[in-house]
Amino acid sequence: MQAFSRIGWFVGLVLLQVLVLNHIHVGEYATPFLYIYFLLVLNADTARLQVILWGFSLGLAVDIFSNTPGLNASAATFLAFVRNPLLRSQTGRDVAEDFRPSVRTMGMAPFFRYALMTVFLYVLFLQLADAFSFSRWMPLFWKVVTNTAATLVGIYGIEIIRRKR
Amino acid sequence: MRNLINFLIKYNYWLLFLLLEMVSFTLLFRFNSYQGSVFFTSANYVSGLIYECGTTVTGYFGLRSINKALVQRNVALQLELDRLLKENNRSSIDTSLVGNSSFSPVSVLSGYRMYPAEVINNSIVRTDNYITLDRGTADGIRPEMGVVSGSGIVGIVFKTSAHYSVVLSVLNSRSNISCKIKRTDYFGSLRWEGGSSQYAYLKDMPRHSEFSLGDTVVTSGHSAVFPEGIPIGVVDDMSDSNDGLSYKLKVKLFTDFARLGDVRVIASEGLEERTLLENSVLPQKNH
Repeated sequence: MQAFSRIGWFVGLVLLQVLVLNHIHVGEYATPFLYIYFLLVLNADTARLQVILWGFSLGLAVDIFSNTPGLNASAATFLAFVRNPLLRSQTGRDVAEDFRPSVRTMGMAPFFRYALMTVFLYVLFLQLADAFSFSRWMPLFWKVVTNTAATLVGIYGIEIIRRKR
Repeated sequence: MRNLINFLIKYNYWLLFLLLEMVSFTLLFRFNSYQGSVFFTSANYVSGLIYECGTTVTGYFGLRSINKALVQRNVALQLELDRLLKENNRSSIDTSLVGNSSFSPVSVLSGYRMYPAEVINNSIVRTDNYITLDRGTADGIRPEMGVVSGSGIVGIVFKTSAHYSVVLSVLNSRSNISCKIKRTDYFGSLRWEGGSSQYAYLKDMPRHSEFSLGDTVVTSGHSAVFPEGIPIGVVDDMSDSNDGLSYKLKVKLFTDFARLGDVRVIASEGLEERTLLENSVLPQKNH
């Protein structure tokens, strides 16, 4: 049952990303990369190896649709690689091992810090791999900031919808 | 061995992470020529920068002997200048007699421009040696321009980028420079056959040509790359060529290729026009 819902989320988020979100550029810059929500909310006790494999396949799936092979895959792999340590840094010792990261299980501030750090690192990696130079760092900076903000808004949107149900 | 396996098992996610990142970037570089090309040019830029930094340090070594050579060169030039001034006076007196006072002797470098450059990479031990300079097309350097140092010729510009250029050194099997015996004006071509960086060979000297050991060899000016009279070296030894039809002279080069620093790039003003004309006449031009 859990496997089904996982695959459902995987397919749903990839389709949402490539069909809708990739075409959104608020103020020319801000594109929400909501598909990484999948990686953020994997159960906390998921093995690091498994998270990395999920990250790579998720990024590659988005890449295949958006004609950027390797770009999202590398960034999502990187995000998956740093996710577990960042998650552990924001959870108290008294929390059970196998919780699903969310506002409800972690609390408002820790979840926000966790989401901010992971999303920021992901967007930074993605934009650096895309631009592949520091020569135009002003647009690069704005892209990182606005993409991070847009993605965080999206993640909180999903969180609110899921909590109401 | 067991420790290694334990290590690999413990940090397997590191290995997987690095592996997948490599796969991703391979995909990225292969598919997008932009990232690939940027990677290679920026790497090039970085290597150029590193060479340049290295040269700023190593450039100080041997300053003493370079200074000495410069002083010697200065003295030689001063003497040459005195001689030329005298000759100039004489010729202007002569010509003033026939009413043409605007005449002045053509100096060696009229019609040529000089660009200073610094050697940032150099090799002398390979069969095909190249020299990298810190000036490129942005500074006016073009392929086929001659390169000289304070003591003699160095080579011919081969490839240029915006800020760097690669010089086909005299010490290169593909290098072929037209030159002549200064005293008697018989000319041949200068080639390098590997081995010592101090010696090159003057080939195709006719049987009837006059020369003696110790004669100075200079550029002939036949190839438009170098003006006439740039020093190359002295005749050190002579032998018959393989076919026995001409002489082959061993030339001791003036330029110390193992210690190149500051050089000059010579640009001929009529180079393009002359090359065009010569190519139209001779389809297989060898210079």
